[in-house]
This record gives sequence, structure tokens and C-alpha cells, in this order.
Amino acid sequence: MGTQNIPESLETVPASFVQFAIADKLINLCRANSLWPLTFGIACCAIEMMCTGAARFDLSRFGAEVFRPSPRQSDLMIVAGTISKKMAPGIQTLYDQMPEPKWVIALGNCAISGGPFVFEGQYGIVEGADKFLPVDVYVPGCPPRPEALIEGIIELEHKITGWRRWPKVKPQWRDTPEG
Amino acid sequence: MSQAIELQKDETFVLNVGPQHPATHGVLRVKMTMDGEYIYNAETVLGYIHRMHEKMAENRTYPQYMPNMGRLDYLSAMAFNHGYALVVERACAIEVPERAEYIRVLTVELNRISSHLVWLGAYVLDLGGFTPLMYCFDDREQILDLLEAVTGSRLTYCYFRFGGLYNDIDDEFISGTRSFIKRMRKELKMYAKLVTGNIILMKRLKGHGMIDYDMCKRYGATGPVARGSGINYDVRKNEPYGVYDQFDFDIPVYDEGDSFARYMVRMDEIEQSLRIIEQALDKLPDGEVNPKKKPKMIKPPPGDYYAAVETARGNFGIRLVSDGTNKAYRLKLRSPTYSNMHLFDEACRGMLIADALAFMGSLDLVIPEMDR
Amino acid sequence: MSIEQKTRDALAPLFADQPPPEPPEPAGADESEKQAGPRPNGIIQQDYSARGFHLDVQIKSEQIVEAVKIMFELDYFLESITGVDWLKDDQLEVVYDFARYDFDLCRTVLRTRISRSEPSLPTITSVYTGASWHERETHDFFGIVFQGHPHLIPLLLPEDADFHPLLKDFKV
Repeated sequence: MGTQNIPESLETVPASFVQFAIADKLINLCRANSLWPLTFGIACCAIEMMCTGAARFDLSRFGAEVFRPSPRQSDLMIVAGTISKKMAPGIQTLYDQMPEPKWVIALGNCAISGGPFVFEGQYGIVEGADKFLPVDVYVPGCPPRPEALIEGIIELEHKITGWRRWPKVKPQWRDTPEG
Repeated sequence: MSQAIELQKDETFVLNVGPQHPATHGVLRVKMTMDGEYIYNAETVLGYIHRMHEKMAENRTYPQYMPNMGRLDYLSAMAFNHGYALVVERACAIEVPERAEYIRVLTVELNRISSHLVWLGAYVLDLGGFTPLMYCFDDREQILDLLEAVTGSRLTYCYFRFGGLYNDIDDEFISGTRSFIKRMRKELKMYAKLVTGNIILMKRLKGHGMIDYDMCKRYGATGPVARGSGINYDVRKNEPYGVYDQFDFDIPVYDEGDSFARYMVRMDEIEQSLRIIEQALDKLPDGEVNPKKKPKMIKPPPGDYYAAVETARGNFGIRLVSDGTNKAYRLKLRSPTYSNMHLFDEACRGMLIADALAFMGSLDLVIPEMDR
Repeated sequence: MSIEQKTRDALAPLFADQPPPEPPEPAGADESEKQAGPRPNGIIQQDYSARGFHLDVQIKSEQIVEAVKIMFELDYFLESITGVDWLKDDQLEVVYDFARYDFDLCRTVLRTRISRSEPSLPTITSVYTGASWHERETHDFFGIVFQGHPHLIPLLLPEDADFHPLLKDFKV
């Protein structure tokens, strides 16, 4: 289902042999600055996603506060939470329903690799979203701070456009490491 | 009102709400058999976030399992920490110093307020009001700053240890909490005018979503769901644990049984939690936060143990079956949302779908706690 | 009369044909005694501060509906139903927790043991409707069949799951 059975004639769209570099750059800039995420909070990381959209951390500075409930209207899926084997087909359906171009951010340890719920003899979860989805940015943490999610969005913008909105900040020690 | 219309059985269709839906607060699926806009029958399907907590308990030692308690109900994680610490302390007969008990009460009540603020913001968002969400999350950030300075985490706390706490509180926390109490009391007045007094909210909630005593007893509903139907049951008063019997606070109980009663119970609980926090700050004794004598390895004697605490959503019970080793033989987590949600299938028959979603929001669901 | 005494008197007829109950066991009892095997049927009064519950009742699996009806008449609410896998005794234990809404504190635990190879016992959904989900979950985790249950399909596991994860000999 989804994008697997497209006839060959349709795969060669005009953009692949005639490209306008400036227009493409502009379109990518527009896409990066107005990412519309899908409201797909599964577990604890969803609350941090809500906090990122709320007043203090304010995701709307980056154009991404319009969380769409419908996958047909969104272009970013933030997988926030543990993926259980019962839920995985549903997530696949949602991903397939999103129109191209689309991106995936794996938020939190559970979406990256199963998180704290991996133990010998585990029967219920899928160990990471990248087992069945193409993930673009991984944001580690359990749960990651809202600032980490914002850094993930900036990293995704960097991936789409080729340049970072803000330069990376080097960590500064308050006291010197020696004492 | 909503039950007055006669529902036709042969003209129904099935509407699937969720698992991905903004109003289900997580991954919950409800298969509603509808007759137009009225619900003929509803069947809840769980298990989309089943994270095997009970099986994990058999694979982890007791201290290794404490972080799981924070992930169960992440909005009110301190109370879940408390329940687990309580059952193991009861089993191993570990004494908790008094300062630790008072700090436990302080942090649990702060967490309760932050959980109710998330509920308020998300509930009014479901009903269509976007503004209170921003105010609620801003107030919540103040609590999260306080708790983060002490525990290190914003959301899924793992602060309690068997017999005490991870870290002691400092003067900055105490002065910060005092200024927060002043701020929150002003904010509550603002919420009463902005949200509770709003005519649209009152019309949507009053008289809808009726639950009575008999339904609560048959399903085992506890917490604000039961207190909104006239049942005066709160584990902190009925079965006091820790130092809750030293505090002077009321339990808000409303008799109407509709969604507005459950709403008012939670708003009043925020005020009562502020009272408890004030008294805890005044009475805070000096001393250590960890006991002097603590067993090197936690190995409860064989047998059954039970502990119950009051979380933001109701009565959380833990049953521990130990066989004398350092891992639990069986750990059963009795989650309040599980019993509260079960009422939905029966209570929503005959309701309009919009009223049913308002009813679901008033039950204050956290799905990972249901699925464990 | 205290509620504990009332409950004991109400449940006493179930044990009319059995020897009198044993005295309460202190917490930290001798390990070897505890692991000797299932205890006999009867009511034991437990120490609340050491255990967390007051009455510990073990009955035969056929009597469960009768006992639960008595609890319903006495105004208890059902907290939870769960199972415990005793591999060494080759039995499964089903545990019912009850508590009260009023200020008469009396946490009661009803237990019953059934065979591990063919686990089945009657459902109590006719008395407490909330038992429906608890029994489905116990069926998911242990494979216990509740006769008379209206809708015994998996609750927490996927709909087509045919494994029972909390059994001690479960392998993925």
C-alpha cells in the first residue's frame, strides 16, 4: 500500500530533468519555515511536545505551531512515544496518508530504539521508529526537554534548506573544568 | 435531554474514534455505533501503548524498577513513586524520617496541581477554547522549574528512594514555593472568571455525562470521578498514609454527578493542595532525608503486600507478591484511569457525540496508565 | 459490630464444612514454611500496617460468585482482579481486591486457586460490571477462561494474540 506501487511513468516528474535552483531553494526555505506537524503524541514525550507549543518555548517562532489533526494536511510526523506492536500498523497508515514531501522526527528514547522498555523477553514494543519509517532527525532524551525538540526542528530545517537558522552554541563551563 | 430520543437499531453505522485523535489524549480507540449523531453503543479498545510494566517488574530489581513508575502516569508521577516506595517500605519494614515524609507530601501536592493544570488546559482545548491552555501551561512551568531544581526532571520523576528521597530541598525551593502559592491563588481567581464562569462551558457541561453511585460501585471508579457523584472517598482521608493525617484540608465532593461537578472537584482540589503545601512548609522539620539503617539489598520477606495512594486521577493500588529474592514475583498495578474509563461504554449510550467527548475529557484520562 | 467482624460473619457460611481458620502469620515468617505450598481455605486476619490489607480469604473456585455477591451486599467496590502463576505448585491463583468507599476501613482480598493445565472459573460480571475488563486482562496475561463472560477477547494484547506473557514459562 502507500507509495509502493507507483507506475514507472509517474516516477519521472518534470523536476527531475528541469530544475530551477533558485526556485527550489526558495520553495525549500518556505517548506522549512512552515512545517506543519501531525498531532501524534503517543505517551510522555507528547506532553513535552505540548509544552514546546505552549507559551514559554513557543514553537510558533519557527512556524511550526499549527499542529494538524489530519495526516492529509501535515508534512511532519513527530513520533513522540513508545511504539507498540499493536499500534505500528496504524502509524504506517498515517505515514502513508501524508502527502509528499514529508519528514519524520523520532522524539525520545522510545522512538529511537525502544527506550527503557527493552528487556529480554519483551513481547509488546517495536524497538525504534526507524524499523519501519524513514526517520530524518533523532531527538534523544527521556523525555527530551522542549529546547531539545526545538534543536531537532532547527536540525530538520538545516537538512531541508542546507543552512542553519541559528549557529550551534558551544557549551560553556561556568567554572573551569579543573576546579 | 440526550436520552429523550428513541434510537433506531437498524439505521446505525460504526464510527471509529482514534487511535490517533486530538481528543482522546493519547492512543485510545473507541468504536462507536452511531444513529445519526447519537451514540447507540460504544466499545473501547485498549492496548495501543501496552508497555509491559508488570512483566518488567519480574525482570528488574526493586530499585531498578522505580523509573517505570514515573512513566506510568507521567503527569502525576510523584504519587506513583510514592505508592511503590510505600509498598516496598511496608514489606521490608523500612522507617522513613519525618523530614522526608513532609517533603514527599510537598512534592506530591505540587505535582497534583501541575497535573490538574494540564487537564484543565487540554479539556478546555477539546471544548474549543484555545486560550486557557497557554495560561495553564505557563503556570505549570513555574511548578516544573521548582521541581526540576530538586529532582532533575521535568516530567517523569524518579525522586523517591526506599526509606527517603534522592535529594534534600534547599531554601531557594522553599521561597520559590511560597511565591508560587501567592501567584497560584491569584491565577485561580482568574480561571474562575475566564473559564468556570463562561456561559458556554456551563451549558456544555451542566447536566451532561451523569454518573451515579451505583455505577461507580459496579465499576470501581475512584478519584474526582467518584467525588463528583457524591462519594466522599479519598485515600488521603479514608486510609491515611505517610503524614497526611497531620494536615488540615477538605475533600471537595459534589452531588450532581455531571461533568460540571467533576470539573469543580478538580478546581477545588487545586486550592486544597495549596493549603496542604502551605502547612507542609510551615511544619517542615529538620533532619535527614534518608534513614540511618537501610538494607543493602532490597529483599522483602515472602508474601503479599498492598499499598494504596491518591493520585490526581484516583486510587492507585500496588499489590506485591514477593518470593524472597531481589526481584518481584508478581507486581500488580491497579490504575485508577482503567476503572474510570470502563464507565464510558455504559454511560455514553444515548449521548450526542460532542457530549460524549466532553464526558471523556471530564474523566481525565492518561492512556499509558490504563494500558500499563 | 466492626465492618471486619460483619464481613467475617457474612463469609463464614462458605466454610461451613471446613476446619477453623489458622491464626494470623506475622510478617517475615519462616521462608521454608511459606514456600511449602498453597494454604488451606479460610479467613485470615492480617496486620494492616505490615501488609496493607485486613482480611485474607481463600475459597474454592466454585464459590466465587456467591462470595462476591456477599461483598456486593456489604457495599464493597471491586478494586482489581489479577492472577499469580505458581509454577512450582502447578496452579494459578486468581486474586480479587475489594475496598470500601466509606470511612470503615477494611481491605479484603479474595483468593482462589485453579489448575494450571485447564484454568477456568465462573465470571463475576453479573455482580460487578467492572470485572469485565479485569477478567479480559487476566485472560490475556494468564490464559484463564472465565465461563459466562460476555466478550472474552484480548484487551491489552493485539486482537490476534495467542500467547500469555505473564506465565512463568513464557518464551517470546
